[in-house]
Amino acid sequence: MTVEKLKETVLDTLKDVELVMGYQMGFDALHATPLFIRKKEDAERLIWNPLCVHNLTTYLPSLKKSRVGVVVKGCDSRTIIQFLQEGLITRENVTIIGIPCQGIISVRKVLKEIEYEPVEEVSFNSDSMTIKTLKGSKTLKIEDVWPDKCITCKYPTPLIYDYLIGEPVSFDRGVEVSQVIKELEGKSLNERLAYWQKEFDRCIRCYACRNACPLCVCQDSCIAETREPHWISQRLTLNEKFMFHMIHALHLAGRCVECGECARVCPMDIPVNILKKKINLDMKELFGYVPGVNAEDKPPMYTFNVDEVNIKEHGI
Amino acid sequence: MRVGVFICHCGNNIAGTIDVARVAEETRKIPGVVYATTYMYTCSEPGQEEIKEAIKREGLDRVVVAACSPRMHEMTFRRTVEKAGLNRYFFEMANIREHISWVGEDKEFNTRKAIDVVRMAVAKVMQNRPLFSSSFKINKRVLVMGGGVAGMQAALDCADGGLEVVIVEKSQSIGGMMARLDKTFPTIDCSICILGPKMVDVAQHEKIKLYAYSEIDEIKGYVGNYQVKIRKKATYVDWSKCTGCGACMEKCPSKNAYDYFNFGVAPTKAINIPFPQAIPKKAKIDPNYCRQFTKGKCGVCAKICPTKAIDYEMKDEIITEEVGAIIVATGYSLIDMDMLPEYGGGRYPDVISGIQYERLLNASGPTAGHIERPSDHEEPKTIVFVSCAGSRDKSIGIPYCSNFCCMYIAKQAILTKDHISDSQSYVFYMDIRSPGKGYDEFTRRAQEEYGVHYIRGRVSRIYPKGKKLVVRGADTLLGTQVEIEADLVVLATAVISNKDAAYMAEKLHISYDTFGFYVESHPKLRPVETNTSGVFLAGACQGPKDIPASVGQGSAAASKILALFSGETLESDPAVARVNINACVGCLKCVKTCPFGAIKEKELRDGRVVADVIETVCAGCGVCTSTCPCGAIQLQHFTDNQILAEVNALCLI
Ligand SMILES: Cc1cc2nc3c(=O)[nH]c(=O)nc-3n(C[C@H](O)[C@H](O)[C@H](O)COP(=O)(O)OP(=O)(O)OC[C@H]3O[C@@H](n4cnc5c(N)ncnc54)[C@H](O)[C@@H]3O)c2cc1C
Ligand code: SF4
Ligand code: SF4
Ligand code: SF4
Ligand code: SF4
Repeated sequence: MTVEKLKETVLDTLKDVELVMGYQMGFDALHATPLFIRKKEDAERLIWNPLCVHNLTTYLPSLKKSRVGVVVKGCDSRTIIQFLQEGLITRENVTIIGIPCQGIISVRKVLKEIEYEPVEEVSFNSDSMTIKTLKGSKTLKIEDVWPDKCITCKYPTPLIYDYLIGEPVSFDRGVEVSQVIKELEGKSLNERLAYWQKEFDRCIRCYACRNACPLCVCQDSCIAETREPHWISQRLTLNEKFMFHMIHALHLAGRCVECGECARVCPMDIPVNILKKKINLDMKELFGYVPGVNAEDKPPMYTFNVDEVNIKEHGI
Repeated sequence: MRVGVFICHCGNNIAGTIDVARVAEETRKIPGVVYATTYMYTCSEPGQEEIKEAIKREGLDRVVVAACSPRMHEMTFRRTVEKAGLNRYFFEMANIREHISWVGEDKEFNTRKAIDVVRMAVAKVMQNRPLFSSSFKINKRVLVMGGGVAGMQAALDCADGGLEVVIVEKSQSIGGMMARLDKTFPTIDCSICILGPKMVDVAQHEKIKLYAYSEIDEIKGYVGNYQVKIRKKATYVDWSKCTGCGACMEKCPSKNAYDYFNFGVAPTKAINIPFPQAIPKKAKIDPNYCRQFTKGKCGVCAKICPTKAIDYEMKDEIITEEVGAIIVATGYSLIDMDMLPEYGGGRYPDVISGIQYERLLNASGPTAGHIERPSDHEEPKTIVFVSCAGSRDKSIGIPYCSNFCCMYIAKQAILTKDHISDSQSYVFYMDIRSPGKGYDEFTRRAQEEYGVHYIRGRVSRIYPKGKKLVVRGADTLLGTQVEIEADLVVLATAVISNKDAAYMAEKLHISYDTFGFYVESHPKLRPVETNTSGVFLAGACQGPKDIPASVGQGSAAASKILALFSGETLESDPAVARVNINACVGCLKCVKTCPFGAIKEKELRDGRVVADVIETVCAGCGVCTSTCPCGAIQLQHFTDNQILAEVNALCLI
C-alpha cells in the first residue's frame, strides 16, 4: 500500500537528512496537518489520502541551508521547480518523495455538503469518500469536491522527484481555464472591478494568503507592512486591501505555480488565486512561459531580453 | 524644513501662458515653503545670485526652480545651490515650460497645472536626501570598434593625444567601405590613395594595437574601467608567420569562393587576401569553400606556403583587454538586391548595386578598372543609375534618405564618361540632395560638363529585352513615360544598419533607433556621445553619412575622450541604486535582471546573503527597483517614497 511504501522511503531518506516533511491527521477526521519527521518514531504518524492538501514545499526556502526531505504531489512539485529556477533552494539539499495524485479534496466544499456538522469519521474508497457526522453519514464523489486547481491540473504526477511512490497517473479534464476566469472574462471592465471590490472588501488583512504562498519571499519586508517604502497604510479601507492584492498578484506574475494555497487558507473565502491564474494565462501568451514546469526555464520577469517570444519590439 | 521656490518667466516663454505670480502665491501656501518668488530669467547670472542670496537671507535648506526642462539647466542650478552651501541634491526642478507653457494654450489651465507640478516638486524636495559622489581611478585606454575611416580617425587622434588604443575590426582588414571605393566625391581623388596612408599610420602607430578579424564577445564594467573580451576568429593562417606573399592564393584550387570585399562581383579563392593594400596584409581561409574543410582533403596551401603558416586546426582565441572608454564606429550595410524585385535585383546579372559598380571602376578591382557587364563582359554604352533604390520607401521599412547616394551616383556617372567616352549615362532621381560644400557644383558638373541625363521620376519596372534591359519610368518634369534601353543598370541600394547592430547595442548598453542606427545623446548638442557615459559614436553606425562627416565624428569622439581622460579620476553619479540590507531577503532577482551587471551578492557577517550594488557600474536605470519584490533596492534620488510623495501631492489634495 502507498502509506507503507511511503513510510519505508521516508525512513530511508531520514538516514541522510535532518528532517522529512509529510502529513499526519489533524484536529479532526476531515483535516490533515503537516508532519515534521526528525526521528524514526515520528514516521508512524504518516498518512496519505486526499486530505493531504498542503503544499509542504512552502517551508523549503527557509530551510535552504539544511538537508531535508519532502513529500510532494504533482502540483507541489511545480513549486520545487520554480524554486530551482529562482535559485531559492539547492537541489542537492532536498530529497523529493513524489506521489502521483488522483486529486485532493476541498475541505471547504465538503463542509458545505455536510452542512458544517462536526465530523466523526472519514473513510475513502477508490473514488469516493464517506463522512460520518452526528446526523448520519454522507458519501461524496471526490471529483465533486475537488478544489479548483485539481480541475485544471495538468501534472498529477510529480515533475521532479528522487523517489516516486506508486505508478504515474495522468488525468487531464481538458479544462484550460477555470470557470471563474471564463465568467470574469465575459464581463465588462466595470463589472470586473465591482466583482473584485466586493471580494476584497471582505479581506481582513490577516495575510494568511501571503504567508501560505510558497513564492512570497519578502518575509518581513513585504510591502503590506514596510514604511520604507511606504506604499500602503494600515487603514482597513478597500483601497488599501485592493492595493495589497494587486501587488501580491503582480509579484506572482509568471511565478505562481497555481498550488491554490492562498485561496485555500483565506478565512474569508476570497478567490485570491484567480487573479494569479489569469496573469499566468497572459504570461503564457506573451512569453510562452509556464511557471514550475522545467527547471531549466528562465522566468521572464527575472531576465532582461531585448525581444520576447511574442513581443517583437525591436524586430531582431 | 525651509523650502524656497523660484518661478521663472523665461521672458515670455513661460509667463506668456502661465500666470507666474499666481503660481508663486499658491506655492507660498504649501506647508514647508517659506519663500516663493518669480524672476525674469532665473538661469541668468543675477537670477542665480538671487537664489544664493535667498538661501542665506531666508535660511532655505531646500530649493525648487520652476522653469525649463532639467535637461537644460538642472546642472546649473545644482551648482548654484552647492555654492550657497547646500547639498546639490537638495534641489528639484519643476518643468513648467516644455511640459506646460509650450504645449498648452489655455492660461487658466496652464496655471493650475503649473501649481500642481510645483507642488509635486516641493513634495519631492522635502523627501530628498543629501547624496555625495565618490571618485574613482580611470584606465586611460580606448577601445575602437570598427576600423573604417571613422574608427581609424578616432584611433589616430586618441593615439596622437597620448592614449593607448585597441582597435577591433570584424573583417580581415581595416579600411571599411572607403577601402572599396574607387574615387571620392566631390574632388574625385583616389579613395585608397588618401585612405592608404591612414591605414599605414594605424598599423605603425606604437600606441595602437589592432585586432583584425575579431569581434567583441563581452563588455563588462563602466566608464573608466571596462573589461572587454575579444574573440579573435580562426583564420586558419598563423598571422605571425604569414608574410602576405599570396602564393597560397595563386595555387588554391577552390576558385569559387564568395568575395565579400568585392560584394560578389567576381568569385575569389578559398584562401585570400582581400585587396593589395589590406592591413594587416594576411591571408585567411574561408572554411565554407576550402576543400580541406568541405572535402577533408587538399592541403595545397599548406604545402605551398613558404613560412608554413597554414593551420587547419586553428581555433578562435579569446583575449581580454582593459579600457576606459569605447568608440563605436561599426559603419553600415546595404540592402540585399533581392529586396528590389521590381528592378530585377538579384535576377538580372546586369542589374548591379552602386558598391559593385564602384568595384568595377576600381583599378585594383576584379576587372582591373574596366567597366564590363557581368553577363557577357562587354563594355556597356548606355548606363542607367537608379537613385533611392529602397531608400525613402516606407513600403519596405526604409523611410529615411541614405545620404550619400545622390553624390556617388554623380561621381560614378562622371567616372563612367572618363572610362568610356562614347557612353551615355542616365540618372533617375527623386530629388538631388547635395547640400555639402562644393556638392551642388559637383552634381551640376555631371549634368553640364559630362552630359549625364538626369530624369526626375521613379523607375517602375526593369525587364530584359534581348541583350538589353528596358528601364521604364516616369519623367515627372515632362509628364511622360520614358523607356531607356540600357546595357547596365546601377541601383543605389539603401543604406541600412549592420545585422548585428542591435545586438552590439545591447552589449554596449546604448540606444538604437527602429532602424538599428545608434542614438546620440542629443541630436544637436551631443552628437557623438551616447546616453551611456564612456561610450561614443563615430561614422555611419549612427546614421548614413559620407566620408567628411564620418571623419569629423571620429575626431570629435576622440576629443571627447581626451577631455574625459584629462584627469586621473572621475566622479561617480550618486543617483544610483542602493540596497537596504535590513530589508533585502537575498532572493537575488535584482542580480539577474540588472542589464549592467551592476549588482553582486554579498555575504554579511551573520552569513546572510544580500544584494550589493557596485556604485560605479550602476547606470541608474531602475530595472532592479521594479524587480525587487520588497522594495529593498532603491534608486537614490528616485526612491519609492520620493515618487509616492509626488503622486500624493498630485492626487491627495
Ligand atoms: C557605392 C558607394 C560609394 C560611396 N562613395 C563615397 C564618396 O565618394 N565620398 C564619400 O564621402 N562617401 C562615399 N560613400 C560613403 C562612405 O562609404 C561612408 O561615408 C564611410 O564608409 C563611412 O565610414 P565608417 O567608418 O563610418 O563606416 P564603414 O566604412 O562601414 O566602416 C565600418 C567598419 O567597422 C567594421 N565593423 C562592423 N561591425 C563591426 C563589429 N561589430 N565589430 C568590429 N568591427 C565592425 C566593418 O568591418 C568596417 O571595417 C560611398 C558609399 C557607397 C555605398
Ligand atoms: S488570506 Fe484572505 S483575508 Fe487574509 S489577507 Fe489574504 S485575502 Fe485577505
Ligand atoms: S499565489 Fe497562491 S496559487 Fe500562486 S503560488 Fe502563491 S499560494 Fe500558490
Ligand atoms: S531583489 Fe530585492 S530582496 Fe531580492 S536580492 Fe535584490 S535587493 Fe534583495
Ligand atoms: S538601477 Fe539597478 S538595474 Fe539599473 S543599473 Fe543600477 S543596479 Fe542595475
